[in-house]
Amino acid sequence: MASYDNDYLRNLVRDDRVHRSIYTDPEIFELEMEKIFSRVWMYVGHESQIPKPGDFYCTSIARQPIVMTRDQNGGVNVLFNRCGHRGARVLNEQSGNARTLTCMYHGWSFKLNGDLAGVPMRRDFDELTLAASQSGMAKLPRSESYRGFVFASLDASVPPLLEYLDEARRGIDELVDRSPQGEIELWAGCHRYEYSGNWKLQFENLADMYHPPACHASTVGPDGRQFSRRPGNRGGSAPFFAANGEAIVAQTGVRGLRNGHSSEASLFREEQSGGIWDDYRTLMVKRYGEQRTTDILRNRRHSMSIFPSVDILIAQTSVRVIRPIGVDRTEVEVFPVRLVGAPEEISIDVVRFVNITHAAASFIQSDDLEAFERCQQGLASHGTDWVLVARGFGHEIDEGNGVLFGDRSSEVGQRSQHYAWRDLISAA
Amino acid sequence: MSSAGAIIKTENLAEPRLSLADLQQFVEHEVDLLDDQRFEEWLALFAEDGVYWVPAKPGQQSPLNHVSLFYDDKPTLKLRVQRLRHPAIHSQVPRSRTIRLVSNFKLETHAADPALYRVISKFIMLEDRPGAARRLFGGRYTHLLRRTSGGLEIVLKQVDLTNCDQSFPSMTQPF
Repeated sequence: MASYDNDYLRNLVRDDRVHRSIYTDPEIFELEMEKIFSRVWMYVGHESQIPKPGDFYCTSIARQPIVMTRDQNGGVNVLFNRCGHRGARVLNEQSGNARTLTCMYHGWSFKLNGDLAGVPMRRDFDELTLAASQSGMAKLPRSESYRGFVFASLDASVPPLLEYLDEARRGIDELVDRSPQGEIELWAGCHRYEYSGNWKLQFENLADMYHPPACHASTVGPDGRQFSRRPGNRGGSAPFFAANGEAIVAQTGVRGLRNGHSSEASLFREEQSGGIWDDYRTLMVKRYGEQRTTDILRNRRHSMSIFPSVDILIAQTSVRVIRPIGVDRTEVEVFPVRLVGAPEEISIDVVRFVNITHAAASFIQSDDLEAFERCQQGLASHGTDWVLVARGFGHEIDEGNGVLFGDRSSEVGQRSQHYAWRDLISAA
Repeated sequence: MSSAGAIIKTENLAEPRLSLADLQQFVEHEVDLLDDQRFEEWLALFAEDGVYWVPAKPGQQSPLNHVSLFYDDKPTLKLRVQRLRHPAIHSQVPRSRTIRLVSNFKLETHAADPALYRVISKFIMLEDRPGAARRLFGGRYTHLLRRTSGGLEIVLKQVDLTNCDQSFPSMTQPF
């Protein structure tokens, strides 16, 4: 379709800047759907959202309706949410439980693994037609899960999931290991917000430690401390400013990883402790031992962003899904996580704190949403064609395994996203 | 909760029970404070143990096992008001203007405690912010009010929006 050739597309991303059209051009957005969102591993959901046989959970990948199901054998399937007969979307509720999946239009029904189960007035069809796999609800070409996180790809030729996750798998490990049973659940629904702006504005923000002093200025109280972002007598609230007047968050480091993944170092210095957190630590030590527990609970990362679909929030114990709707329209979901085996109060506190940090009405997210929309508006201007991602450029430290570290809120994470974007969008 | 209509009991109280009209006046005053952006006065209406709750799921029974659009205890509500007043609250440059219509008032007494009143009403809220699309919200208010020597205070204001489980652009105004 494209009127852009691959050299042109490749040149939209330079070492320390990107062309504004990658946020605003509808044709580039269509190319992203085809060459990025349809060609890499995309996060679908978590197995805990479909615990029992017959459970289903509807979502979308690259704007295509899909459904994740648990079949009678306990297997997880990722299917196109489309009837094999005339193409109607089969499931219209976000989630539920069913013995079979039945299309409302002519009553075709499907097993949870997508196989055709029933056809009204069947003898008027050729059995060979019905036997073909396309008459069922088709499976996505690839699906795999890692520690309960289900990913799928529209491209059959993608390398294995773990190869794609690469170093980013550590983000999943670091979250799941915080459960004394090594298991998490998405148990409390999700926050769902949207904005009039390109999806990359949210994705870049996941690796942006530079913005809080300005963007989130209104979250800092007269005492110079930001409101507490997580519970615990210690390790929850943190002073916002360092002795030299700089915001501590903006002195924090960022990592750019292979395949467009990125990670922010933790905002927090202390382990959460006091009250229920001490009980939690005891449970962790029982399971992992003292040394390993200290390592797991170390404030290593704030989050791990897995390009281009999901963000694992380790410090804030939640999962964020980014879903492009149009070139200037994006929807985001944030799911609080339950650490299975941890005291119930901890999971409840996570729900409460995610309300004030990530709800559409929250103290933090409402500022970010304003920033995303102002970027989209500003990028309509032809003042200059380039958007800078130059902070800390040339000062990255190569930590090996494709990991580049940049201190002082380096934009190394955004650069890693854009370089991956460039390689995918300009591929043959 | 039952749909008790306007039940007024007068027994066991030195003072006569408040009438539906009294309670209606209180709720109308409360939403006027929000429309007028008199947030500090609005905050002062809440009891120290008061809660402002906007569920994110129709029929949501608890704020503890499911996300909420707002679930503010009084300290959180104080932060919210402090932020709404902060000169660098970018999502309020320019500020929102709101108007709320409240109607269909019903009163349910709280049998266990004669000082508690549960008032249910329906509302529509219009929010305009220059440069942004007009927004329309609607739903049901549930006010759990406690009568004290100093007057009425809000123990719970629950707002059940008709679209509570959908995705939202940034929200800054309490309903």
